[in-house]
Amino acid sequence: MGLREYVIRRSIYMFLLIVAVVCFNFFLFRLPTLVLGVSPVDLMISEEMRRNLTRDMLEQLYFRFGLVPDPDIFDWIYMFWRYLVNMFTGNFGLSFISGQPVIDEIMGRLPNTLLLMGTSSLVAIMLGIWTGVKVAADPGSRKDVSAVTVALFIYALPIFWFGMMLLMIFAVYLPSVTGGLISFPLYGTIDTELWPTIKDSPFGGLIMAGDILHHLFLPMIALGVGGYGGYFLYMRNNLIDVMTEDYILTARAKGLDENQVLYKHGLKNALLPMVTVIALTFGFLINGATLTETVFTWYGLGRYIFTSLFQLDYPVVQAIFMIIAITAILANFVADLLYGVLDPRIKYA
Amino acid sequence: MCLTTSGIVLLLTNPQVLGLTLEKRMKKSWRDSNWYSASTAFWKEYRRHKIGIIGLALLLAYVGMAIGAPYLVQYSPSPGAKVAPSFLAPAWMQVFDPGGVVTSDVIKDPNMGLTPDFVVNGTAPNQFSYSYLPSGGGTDFNRVEMTWTHLTNQTLHFRTPIDSTGNLPDCLDFVYFSYSFNWTYAKLPSDVNVTIDFAAETTGDFASREAGGLMFKLYMWLVDSAGNWWRVYQSYPPYASIYQMRVIDLNYFDIIEGWEGIVKHTDPSNELTLAVGLVPSRNMRTNLDYNGSVTVSVRKLSVIAFGDYFGILGTTDKGADAWSQLVYGSRVSLLIGTLATALSSIVGVAVGMTAGYFGGKIDEILMRIVDFLLVIPGLPLMMVLAAFLGPTIINIIIVISLLGWTGTSRLIRSQVMAEKNKAYVESARAIGASDTYIIYRHIFPNVTPILFADVTLGVVGAILSESGLAFLGLTDPSQPSWGRMLADAQGSGGFSNGAWWIVIFPGLMITVLSLSFTFVGHTLDQILNPRLRER
Repeated sequence: MGLREYVIRRSIYMFLLIVAVVCFNFFLFRLPTLVLGVSPVDLMISEEMRRNLTRDMLEQLYFRFGLVPDPDIFDWIYMFWRYLVNMFTGNFGLSFISGQPVIDEIMGRLPNTLLLMGTSSLVAIMLGIWTGVKVAADPGSRKDVSAVTVALFIYALPIFWFGMMLLMIFAVYLPSVTGGLISFPLYGTIDTELWPTIKDSPFGGLIMAGDILHHLFLPMIALGVGGYGGYFLYMRNNLIDVMTEDYILTARAKGLDENQVLYKHGLKNALLPMVTVIALTFGFLINGATLTETVFTWYGLGRYIFTSLFQLDYPVVQAIFMIIAITAILANFVADLLYGVLDPRIKYA
Repeated sequence: MCLTTSGIVLLLTNPQVLGLTLEKRMKKSWRDSNWYSASTAFWKEYRRHKIGIIGLALLLAYVGMAIGAPYLVQYSPSPGAKVAPSFLAPAWMQVFDPGGVVTSDVIKDPNMGLTPDFVVNGTAPNQFSYSYLPSGGGTDFNRVEMTWTHLTNQTLHFRTPIDSTGNLPDCLDFVYFSYSFNWTYAKLPSDVNVTIDFAAETTGDFASREAGGLMFKLYMWLVDSAGNWWRVYQSYPPYASIYQMRVIDLNYFDIIEGWEGIVKHTDPSNELTLAVGLVPSRNMRTNLDYNGSVTVSVRKLSVIAFGDYFGILGTTDKGADAWSQLVYGSRVSLLIGTLATALSSIVGVAVGMTAGYFGGKIDEILMRIVDFLLVIPGLPLMMVLAAFLGPTIINIIIVISLLGWTGTSRLIRSQVMAEKNKAYVESARAIGASDTYIIYRHIFPNVTPILFADVTLGVVGAILSESGLAFLGLTDPSQPSWGRMLADAQGSGGFSNGAWWIVIFPGLMITVLSLSFTFVGHTLDQILNPRLRER
């Protein structure tokens, strides 16, 4: 089977997966209505208000949420059909809370999430690969054992707690000890008090960028450290595996020095599976980090999904769910193809 | 090393090992059994891994903590149970602050284990009596009884003029009992709670007349040796013959004047006395025709002086004891961690074996379900489900295991696919063994070793998920949980108030517990994973 056939088959499969996710989403967020018989409208208006509304008004209110009052099976089919049409045309509806289109709300937060997740993943990947290679050259050494122990420690660390500790040290204690010399913001994405300065100053853009970086630093470190352990272990284990291959033996037999063997022959091959993992990581970037964003009150999607859920703002949660799942499916697809393109030994089957 | 694993595999391939052991015990030493030699060989191997030993020791400490929780704590672990003011520091931090006051129970035996001092004041001793009744065992309590018996037109002496401060009672004739305790006056408590458990039984006119309850009062005073009295409590009707508890939270003036004032100005001995008295009220002046008796019995009297320091770990934002929450939190984490992993492992193994062994359509369908679950965002789905189903412990376990089995099933599937073409499966099939028999008697034991490490590491994921969900508020509201403690600390500005101890310790508990599972899992992986072993 050639590459083209493989791509076509994978594409069909990907489409089916997307359809499955869309259907699952429909039922997940109508679970309270299906199981408990409680609709979002019930939560918004009281019994008294409901009695005062005419049937027409009530139907319109339900319609806004993509619902039908007292649905029977045909109403469910109708609702499902409307939902399908909306999802595939990118119409995610209005937020219950703000009344704004969900897509606008999401787009407003997306850059922040991408910035935080992108920079922290980059830090984690770079550090992971770098230390992984350093250590894999000499497995079992003191350096290796201590690095693995650190990685295991990070694996066991609740990142949100690590973030709280960072906040406590860098945003509460150090500022008071150093008299404000070293100080990081306790919360937020940007400092609203700086707005007038940014507007008036000719270097407003620079000040804003600096302010965002200032706010970004602590959450980025928290997430970067959190992700580091996994990349490090993966890189290390891959490289140790690769270093037992025959072609490494050949390279050594040719009399190449150990650095050349490690970086030219070992690292290149060990990076292949890493590429897949990185591609998958970028698929989940949009996922955000609910816990870390909550700790740092970062204005991103991760915290948005959490606050929306607790405000019963289902259209938002539903839309973010959809977007995350579809990005993940696409990233999987890309990672599979990328792996095949990069590694000629892979056969499509 | 190979011997070890083959020993374990041998043990696990043969499920009748235990039965055989029992049979063999008759003829041979039990030390020759497969079971024994395999586990000793395994232990010999495990012992060589330092981190494995550390992990195991930590794990045992946590299990001990979870089991012994009721013996380790003194206060209620419920997050809402207020026992002291908010954000008190741990008692051991007092070493940095010698002037600080540690929260303590100042009356040594609050359950009336000691005989108090009794005094009958005034010139009518025949009307008052008292007794101390130690517990007769069982449900009987230690108690103190004071009785006032008044016959028609017996005289009582009243104070004239009335004490305007209200500290001294109106009647000069009364009975009281008291306990003394020491208090360094240089240290002032930030808050004092006095708890009294008493019952009042009335007879005659005191019981039958409408105003009977107004004829007497129960007073509490803080007294110093110089004779200065400060009233902290006076009772009001109605009274009941069953015991009722009163908690008196001393106010600012009670503490400044009654507590500190007396000690500082006139009492060089640093001694304070708490007195409880039964006193005829001023209404008796005009009602001397009463005929009957009043008996007040007290079975508990405690005085808790709150300082800046409290208990082993201070208090939370709601004034609950942090230490008891920390200890009981280990129960929740261990329970959810192990049960959720057990559940997800069972599902994962079942799915993985079915998919791997039968292959074809079944494999295709099951693996597509796994693929599907892998692209669903994990934490958000858990949040949604936990919020919809209600965050009880059982639901949290279900929600965590719902997403946890995919990894296990993939691992098991690949192992089974490697095993099923081996000769021993072939020969088992040749002698007519059924699929179920082959799966459970032959293949399952051979993939078990790799499962051990996977399960141990799965617990880490479950524990971290639980604490994350609890941090977001998705936890049983009545149960203490480390994630919830962190959420409370974050939500109430714990560390910006300088209360670092309620941030550090719960997080440390989560980290060390998951670290111990990680260490054990990593060691098991090193020993049992054939891929790693060959290196």
